[in-house]
Amino acid sequence: MVEYNKVTDEVVKKLAAICGEKYVTDSEPLRYSYMAKGIMGLEAVLPEVVIRPANTEEVRKILMVANDNLSPVTPAAGGLSGGFALPAIEPGGILMDMTRMNKMEVDTENRVMIVEPGVRCGDAWRIFKKRWPDWAPPIPDGAPPGATILGDAIERGFSLVTGRYGPQADMIMGLEVVLPSGEMFKTGSWALDGAKAFYRWGVGPNPDGLFLGSQGSMGIITKAAVKIVPHPHFKTIVAYGGDSWEHIVEPAWEIGKYEMGISDNTVMVQGGNWPLVMTRWPKSNVPLDYKFYEKIGIDEYWMNSEVWAHSQEELDFTLKRIDEIYKDYEVKQKTTCKQQQLHPKQIASRLKKPNLIAVPYGLYEAGFLFITFYCPWLESARMMEEYCAAMENYGFPPTMWVASIDHARQAIVMPILCFDSSEPDIYEKIREFNLETTKSFLDKGWVNYRPDPFVHAPETFIRAKEYYRMLVKFRKVLDPNFILHPGRLAIPWGSVTDLPNPLEGE
Amino acid sequence: MTSLEELRKINARCIHCRACQYAYSNEPDREGADEEYTGMMLSCPGGNFYGWEGYFNSGRMWMARAFLEGDLKPSQEMLEVIEACTTCGLCAEQCTNYIDTVDIIEELRAAIIESGVEPLSRHKVIGDRVLDTEMRNPYHDPRSERTAWYDGELDNKDAKIAYYVGCTGAYRQQGVARHTTSILRKLDVDFTILTDEVCCGSPILRTGQKAIFNTVMNENLELFKDFDLLVFSCAGCFRTFKLDYPKQSGKPLPFKVAHTLDIVYDLITEGKLKIEKPYNKKVTWHDPCHTIRHIGLSIERKILEESKNWLLDSRKATKAKEAWYERPREVIRAIPGMDFVEMYRIKGNSFCCGAGGGVKTQFRDMANDTARERIKEAASTGAEVLLTSCPFCITNFNDAVKALKKEEEETGKDLSAVGSKIEVVELLELMDQLLD
Repeated sequence: MVEYNKVTDEVVKKLAAICGEKYVTDSEPLRYSYMAKGIMGLEAVLPEVVIRPANTEEVRKILMVANDNLSPVTPAAGGLSGGFALPAIEPGGILMDMTRMNKMEVDTENRVMIVEPGVRCGDAWRIFKKRWPDWAPPIPDGAPPGATILGDAIERGFSLVTGRYGPQADMIMGLEVVLPSGEMFKTGSWALDGAKAFYRWGVGPNPDGLFLGSQGSMGIITKAAVKIVPHPHFKTIVAYGGDSWEHIVEPAWEIGKYEMGISDNTVMVQGGNWPLVMTRWPKSNVPLDYKFYEKIGIDEYWMNSEVWAHSQEELDFTLKRIDEIYKDYEVKQKTTCKQQQLHPKQIASRLKKPNLIAVPYGLYEAGFLFITFYCPWLESARMMEEYCAAMENYGFPPTMWVASIDHARQAIVMPILCFDSSEPDIYEKIREFNLETTKSFLDKGWVNYRPDPFVHAPETFIRAKEYYRMLVKFRKVLDPNFILHPGRLAIPWGSVTDLPNPLEGE
Repeated sequence: MTSLEELRKINARCIHCRACQYAYSNEPDREGADEEYTGMMLSCPGGNFYGWEGYFNSGRMWMARAFLEGDLKPSQEMLEVIEACTTCGLCAEQCTNYIDTVDIIEELRAAIIESGVEPLSRHKVIGDRVLDTEMRNPYHDPRSERTAWYDGELDNKDAKIAYYVGCTGAYRQQGVARHTTSILRKLDVDFTILTDEVCCGSPILRTGQKAIFNTVMNENLELFKDFDLLVFSCAGCFRTFKLDYPKQSGKPLPFKVAHTLDIVYDLITEGKLKIEKPYNKKVTWHDPCHTIRHIGLSIERKILEESKNWLLDSRKATKAKEAWYERPREVIRAIPGMDFVEMYRIKGNSFCCGAGGGVKTQFRDMANDTARERIKEAASTGAEVLLTSCPFCITNFNDAVKALKKEEEETGKDLSAVGSKIEVVELLELMDQLLD
């Protein structure tokens, strides 16, 4: 177990000397304001001090002070759809609020955007609307305006065009990283003095992957260069229903195979079930029998395809081909995949970005948690069936969402656990549910997209000992004192779990 | 009586998504004139001014949760953060989980004070003055002079309608009170004014001093109980009577309430009143939080409370709220000759003047900074006149314009683009000038 030191008054003074007193606080109420439990994670503790650096140089100096004092550091900015990607965990340490670092540069010629950690999606969208209306900022689909571009990218989150291009991390062209030693470097072609971030593989082996998916665990990212894509203005949503998960997953896979064709226009493919609609409203003020949903024309399962095109002709052609593929599938499988009648307001609502689509699940019973798994696309139906059964078994409504990544190569499967946060022992029940399903899914070879540090990460690395050993080696090189957040890497192991360390005795 | 404890479950709906930090948080493609006023805009007065998460509603909701769970102990330091909020309700308008953020913040303030923490220094001063039976107002003026401005008949026992003047009308903006009485006479409203009227308690409730608030609320309820209708000119008093008295007393009001502009609106829309005199100026309108957003949100909540199916009724509730937001605009559009231009942030997404919730009293820099941002937005429309109808908005905007003028004098810079030349006008005053 790593022994950390408390953040003393002396350390606070050193931090204030870096950023100015105005931007450092150990105020208990202000520290509590950074808490969040639910939606993305259930564990969070109070940081000992919060600091708001203005630039990379200040980040560098803060990390050096933290390293000297053996104080753990957690970076945070705008958070995700709710909460922070990685809230501070024991023993608290220094929370680095990166929201002041909010500069962005856009290079439409090289189709790349450089963002600091504090650039919020709402602000980027607003500026793009007026300055670069033909380009789409690399914001996540389904996150509110306060979420940040860099946070989403380094989290390997969704983009607006994930159905075509894969996770946002795949769009990264270079990173600027600061290590606890105070060393700073850039990756890709950006590493060369004066060079642009135009070539990801740049001047040598690219270490980007080490810094993605568990932000701040290997180093603090102070800038990211992310690809931007055109923003064509012929857009719509079509949805098709089905009587099972299988019957919405399989036709989407048929469409996904048309890469370099209509599948490239289908930038986002996502689906769900009846409870996905119902649990967006209060349990006490919504029909709990599904007949109501049937009556208003919603099939039990459905899949949306969001289509972007450069012309009406291209859009019409794509929609026609999608419809034909569904019709062929119906014949082949002797089933019905009815096109859902979407109201123009429903289409407009789904096309809206950034949006608040992920927020209202808190209404159902005043608490919810997203859990996210990846699996090969065609296996997702089986995962969702098992997940829904487990949710019902534990007394949760089987609220389920699924989306295609990279032309239906992978699926992100996301159960939304709606629960009453005031219910005694509810968090323990959720943990049990999470543990049971995680063990089962990892055994089937499915992996977490956003591993929970306490449940998913240890359970995963127990089953990936050799890989974990390599990660620990990298971590020891980059952060020898382990002052950075253990993140989703379970390093140090004892900070997130009581399970036996897979590397024990080595 | 409400309490923070009663709001525990509503507070627990917060997932810390931070949509509440933005105006138009669910309207990314809203068109505006330029890059600054387009789409979503960071619009929390406290958060924008201080920057720390705890000054945004999103952070405050988690402080409230920590307080309710017993993790965060009440303290002066906590009260300082929680009080630096205008309780404008822009956050409540954004929240798709329908969190009553203003109620939670006000009840949190009350809970901190009830636990033994002293109110903030300037808030305590106004609380003490209102508690003093010789004053019963926050301005340190004698109670005996409350109606000194009025030359009409007082305490008419036969009247069924009373004009509740409020402390600002009675002691600081008597012009607004005189214009209101003039309007009421022109509209043939048979009203009276009561000498025993006391402070409505609005600034006292907003700053968490509930015991004092209850004292004046009960005095007013007793005093006015036999009237059919109470008419108001002050946005704060109106909101307090209409929303807070029933909530805090636990009983429905024994009389109806209406802002004077509501009476004007009703007569205009019923075709019984036509404004003939023109007002040939370019004008923009600022929605006072108390009379526009707070009442609108309460209309929406009431429909939802009574609904068994939010899936169907939420749109109806939103429509009813939006109809309320439209009312002052219909009054303004009835004025001939006026070139009416809207600011970017309007109605439920209107940016606060910066004075409310006890901020003007205790946090003057924040109040001034917020007013300047709004004045700048008003100036961006090219309007010569910023019209509103709230004594606190008027005062804070005028202070901001004065500060801009002073800065112009000191620096020699032309600050008209950010509002130094704008004229701030109370709609009631204008209405009195235009009605025959």
